[in-house]
Amino acid sequence: MSDARTIGRPFDEIVVGEQLPTVRLPLTVYRLVMAAGSNRDFNSIHHNSEYARSTGAKEMYANTSFLMSSWERLVRDWAGPHARIRAIRGFRMRSFNYVGETMSVLGEVIDVRREGVEGVVEVEVRCETSAGVTVGPGVVELGFPLDEQEQG
Amino acid sequence: MSGRAMDATSIEGDWTVEWQPVIDAIGRDFADGEVTWGGDPVEPGAIRRYLEPLEFDCELHTDPEAARRAGFGDVTMPYTGVIAWTIPAAWRPGEVLFDSDDRDAQPVHTAINNADMPLGPRTTGFFGTDIEVDFHREVIAGERIGRRGRRLLSCTPKETGVGRGAFMTWESEIISDRGDVVGLIRIGTYAYVPHQKGEQGE
Repeated sequence: MSDARTIGRPFDEIVVGEQLPTVRLPLTVYRLVMAAGSNRDFNSIHHNSEYARSTGAKEMYANTSFLMSSWERLVRDWAGPHARIRAIRGFRMRSFNYVGETMSVLGEVIDVRREGVEGVVEVEVRCETSAGVTVGPGVVELGFPLDEQEQG
Repeated sequence: MSGRAMDATSIEGDWTVEWQPVIDAIGRDFADGEVTWGGDPVEPGAIRRYLEPLEFDCELHTDPEAARRAGFGDVTMPYTGVIAWTIPAAWRPGEVLFDSDDRDAQPVHTAINNADMPLGPRTTGFFGTDIEVDFHREVIAGERIGRRGRRLLSCTPKETGVGRGAFMTWESEIISDRGDVVGLIRIGTYAYVPHQKGEQGE
């Protein structure tokens, strides 16, 4: 386990252009069924290949909650538990994330600023498979606590 | 005859006219401000199951002591759980949920489709397209959350590779049973009539 996951990434070390460690998620039937069961999106397009094909897709594909939570895992792995998520924007699904692919979740810091008692970091995030960018790029906006000295 | 009784594939010419009643309803709250509560309160077991397929390791969601050290009363719901924990129960006592033994038969009712849309053409294909969420605060185990309102913000008919339908954007407040608004969510969807085999969309 990295230090960031238990201690938290120091706000004053974060710079624009920083790349977050990529999260790679093989999209197996097993994983997608677990995801549907846990996030309650039982739309058959996410766990039933035959049904998914009847709706025009090539195969069953990952559901929205799973994809969005992969963005949360990316930023949480990197930022640690002391950061909070203020907003998610531009989470746009461009193409389906089909079973049998490995999906990569990538992020880059695009803005760092101070707002009162909070440090704000915007991370541009996207998902990719062999088809290219499948989700995003969008922005996850994070808040980091600042001590009195950091607040200036 | 409502627009819903019509079949999109039966219309010749400009098929998008069927979506005009929906376009005309932009701005309407289809839930009339009512709250649709999630099926269950947020609880540690469901949080664990949510984390498992993601292999998502964060002590705020798994360790009550760590969560308390961070200032919370108990483990917190992953922020993105605002979708999962606001989906209503799939079945209630006395209801029939499955009435067919066809392999791919769908439940009699589900919150995960466009079936409760009172306007526009009947559609059988449905998926989410985009989401924006503002999070006002963390949700703690023990809270129950729901979506208040379901306001239509946009409707754009479009034929795609999978069928003919419309992109729609909906907005709801995320509220807690503790009485406050914990977030705001805007969800984009595509509801459509799938192409028949051999048909080609854009």
